[in-house]
Amino acid sequence: MAASLSSRGVVRLLGALAKSASLCSSSGGRALHVTAACCKNRAARVRVGKGDRPLTYEEAHHPHDIGHRKGWLSQNTSNLKGEGGAADRTMEDVFIRRFMFGTFYGCLGNELVIKRRGNMLIVCALILHKLPPAKMYFLIGYSEYLLSHFYKCPVKLDIQTLTSKAVYKYL
Amino acid sequence: MASHTSKAFLSLGRINVPCLRLQGFVNRVTYATDMTKTSYGNDDLREKSNTGPFREKTKRDAGEPRTNRMLLDQDWTAVYPAATPFRSNSVPLPVRMGYPMKGSVPPEKKGNLELIKIPNFLHLTPGAIKKHCEALKPFCTKWPSALDTDAQCDQHFPIKVESTDYASAGVSVRNPSARIIHLRIKLSSLNLDDHARKKMLKLVGERYCKDTDILTITTDSCPLRQQNYDYAMYLLTVLYHESWKTEAWEAEKTVADMEEFSWEDSPSQKNILDMLVRMKMAGEEESEEVREQLLGRKEVQEYKDSVTRLKNEGESESTMLQYKEAVKKVFNL
Repeated sequence: MAASLSSRGVVRLLGALAKSASLCSSSGGRALHVTAACCKNRAARVRVGKGDRPLTYEEAHHPHDIGHRKGWLSQNTSNLKGEGGAADRTMEDVFIRRFMFGTFYGCLGNELVIKRRGNMLIVCALILHKLPPAKMYFLIGYSEYLLSHFYKCPVKLDIQTLTSKAVYKYL
Repeated sequence: MASHTSKAFLSLGRINVPCLRLQGFVNRVTYATDMTKTSYGNDDLREKSNTGPFREKTKRDAGEPRTNRMLLDQDWTAVYPAATPFRSNSVPLPVRMGYPMKGSVPPEKKGNLELIKIPNFLHLTPGAIKKHCEALKPFCTKWPSALDTDAQCDQHFPIKVESTDYASAGVSVRNPSARIIHLRIKLSSLNLDDHARKKMLKLVGERYCKDTDILTITTDSCPLRQQNYDYAMYLLTVLYHESWKTEAWEAEKTVADMEEFSWEDSPSQKNILDMLVRMKMAGEEESEEVREQLLGRKEVQEYKDSVTRLKNEGESESTMLQYKEAVKKVFNL
């Protein structure tokens, strides 16, 4: 008896739904959905040019190559299963990249690589020979000091210097 | 571009001064940007002279990489003593990494970001690990000689407590999963008689594993590990003492509550005895002694064993075979 009751109930529900759907379409309830333009086919892709623009390996490969031909620029355990703090680590990374870009303006040869080992933040940067060494040392010390005060953890800057950017191809 | 940098520095200064109380900071920054105003790509327009306000920027050459001066028998642990990112000028290996361009080879190690991204184990060569072990040896003590087998360990340390510590990359060491405690004990190491063991098994339910005879108590209801450990020990103590007590209502235990099948006073015994009595004395008077005598017979005992085994262990090849043989023997088939 219970089974027959429930089947009758289901039939009634379906009938009601059908009626409401027909009502909606007949009265004309239309909606316009607007989202922000998702240019996911233009993200992080350098457009082909005349052939005189040098690109590094990082810039030359598109985002779908991450995990296949490119590694990850930021390494921490927060994105593993059962771990927390992913949002915090991401925000820290974003700030650190902007901070370093501004501090070593024009001197960064490639993207920053940020590694976290326990409590320690290690920022690996490739820097061009644009500044005299004294200024370079000052900027390194200043960044380390400020960032460790911001994030209350030891911050190490691992700097390697290059004479010029490592070119992978020209577009 | 110089003005842009000065603006960036000034804005940074404005944000940071309230946080850090570095009073002379903004002035130092503006001084630094003034100094770097010299020649950003204006060399070819000016005269190439090394005096005056338009000095030629001295070209800074890259120094010789350290790899050129490395001996074959150098101490590698001095080059990479701790975990550090890959440094192309410190590693004397011609490694290449990256997807090659068409008709080309993977990019070289100089300026290669892919080699820096990946974790490396250059600080963990066999020589380095030997050094670590040598350094740790003074702090290690020998394993006690009396505990050389698992059985010995179980005998001396029957209660095993398991807890997990978590390390992750981040500013906080706290992990709520670290409070969970697993307490394992073999019931054979506890002093339980038959009634106590049966009552313990009933109290404990799912937490007992029959194959290994291990009772596992998992506690995670308290916020701290020490509290969970105390709670687990308390639970063990309470279980032990409660299983030794006999309550008044335990006398009402019915056949349905029994853990094992017991043949005495079961329908199976009644059935087989009735059958045999009817077979043996068709029409004669039956009495208690007849039943006793029948019970004592070997075939009936075998039948009892086979039925008990079937009911307790479940159906399998050997139990069914045994039952078949016993039935055949009882009825002389």
